[in-house]
Amino acid sequence: MMRTLRDLLLFFQRDLRIAGTYRSPFILEAIEALFGVALFYYVARFVDSPELRQALPQGNTYFAYALVGFVFFDYLNAALDSFDRSLLEARDTGTLEPLLVTQVSLPVILAGSAVYPFAATTLRIAVYLGWGAALFHFPLGGANWVGVIAVLLATLLAFSGLGVLSAAYLLLFKRGNPAKWFLLGISSVVGGMLFPVSILPDWLQFIASINPITYALEAMRAVLLDGASLSAISRPLLVLLVFAAILLPVSMAAFAWALRRTKTTGTLTHS
Amino acid sequence: MSVPAIEIDSLEKWFPPAYSGWRALLQPFTAPTSPALRGISLEVAEGEAVALLGANGAGKTTLLRVLATLLLPTHGSAQIAGHDAVSDPAAVRRQLGYHAGRDLGFYSRLTGRQNLRFFGRLNHLSDATIEERTRALGERFQLGEALDRQTRSLSSGTIQRLSLLRALLHQPKVLLLDEPTRSLDAIAASDFRRFLRAEVLAGHGTSLLFASHSLPEIELLADRVAILQEGALIALDTPAGLRAKAGASSLEQVFFRLTGRPVPPDVEARPA
Repeated sequence: MMRTLRDLLLFFQRDLRIAGTYRSPFILEAIEALFGVALFYYVARFVDSPELRQALPQGNTYFAYALVGFVFFDYLNAALDSFDRSLLEARDTGTLEPLLVTQVSLPVILAGSAVYPFAATTLRIAVYLGWGAALFHFPLGGANWVGVIAVLLATLLAFSGLGVLSAAYLLLFKRGNPAKWFLLGISSVVGGMLFPVSILPDWLQFIASINPITYALEAMRAVLLDGASLSAISRPLLVLLVFAAILLPVSMAAFAWALRRTKTTGTLTHS
Repeated sequence: MSVPAIEIDSLEKWFPPAYSGWRALLQPFTAPTSPALRGISLEVAEGEAVALLGANGAGKTTLLRVLATLLLPTHGSAQIAGHDAVSDPAAVRRQLGYHAGRDLGFYSRLTGRQNLRFFGRLNHLSDATIEERTRALGERFQLGEALDRQTRSLSSGTIQRLSLLRALLHQPKVLLLDEPTRSLDAIAASDFRRFLRAEVLAGHGTSLLFASHSLPEIELLADRVAILQEGALIALDTPAGLRAKAGASSLEQVFFRLTGRPVPPDVEARPA
């Protein structure tokens, strides 16, 4: 266990060092975040109305609601993207073979390569929320931070299964998983990113109910905006953990099968 | 009786046909039809160096990749220091140093030293050991300040030396090298061969299986030579034994004769 954690840390340090060789993007991303938050603030002021406030969870402004939805949607993006992107980069730079003959297993290599993207996403979210709180009255004061961490961990576990499935697809078919784009697209509409799921027609609400992003955003808004306790978010948290309990073993089994298959067909390092 | 460093028994590797377009979606589920290795049996003893010699496509790289656990064999078995490459790949990798013979394989925005530290740590070496071995091998391979430059700015020969250093960093019991001196200049190649012979093979008792098209390299390094043709092992003996068997005065003549090719007049006339 300690060895695995040390190995994961090695991948994080590697990616941090590589990212450190590109200095300006950190500053540019922070400025981009400021523009993004400002955009949400002024759009929210423009569309704010009594009807809208009635549709939102108790006491929320549309600005706070939409900003949380927008920035935490990034986790789904990171989860779906980072596993297969790391595989793709390793394959294209020729580092996949040297990695595979080290004493670290491919699942650890894959998980390790996702640590930095998740950490970077978390930092990006913090910058967005920081700008929101500093300049546009985003209500951070009442957040339940233990709850925030719990929801983040459950969200990471639930989404990682989807990312590993996507990497298994890439390993087998050598191209990006089309289901990934479909999932991202449908989640942006029905996942509760910019408007409550309750305003959707029944059949779309059903689709929302089988998508982990819906529960992740519901729980995150509750702990971040309303300071809800862990017991108050036990239902969405449990659903996220059930998603993780199903998706992680299924995705790891699919990935192991895909790896075995590519070692059989000799296409492991093919593009 | 000691366990052979490498033990290959009736090894077969077949590949499915390569598809393009929409048919590529069927590739992972297609039955293998093209033989790349056919019934190879071979043992490499501790401290022994065996060269794989064969034309392009003869199966040399495929054999090395099966041993490196990057490919699964279709039939037969391959063991490294008594560990099976299919059922216990992690134990096999603990014994292995592998050089794939390409100019890739490093993070281009990290320095040579940072790359070596990363891969060394993945092989569970301590920072101090990595630093000490990087210094010693870096001097031996004349890497000098190249170790502290981003690898994207290094020549292919320097990258190759770095890759060989990486394969040796954890002092493996078995070395698998695919064309180890392909991108090296004549002096660096000669230095590397002498180092391998004197310090790695004789000094540490490391076993070596390497593929090469350089006959002088094979003459200098190999205790025995395995000649592959279309995936089959057609001859395995010492260089002197092969010359005697083929009635030849050089390995070049041996290669032509044993693979059934007419020996060109200039090769026939060339002194050994």
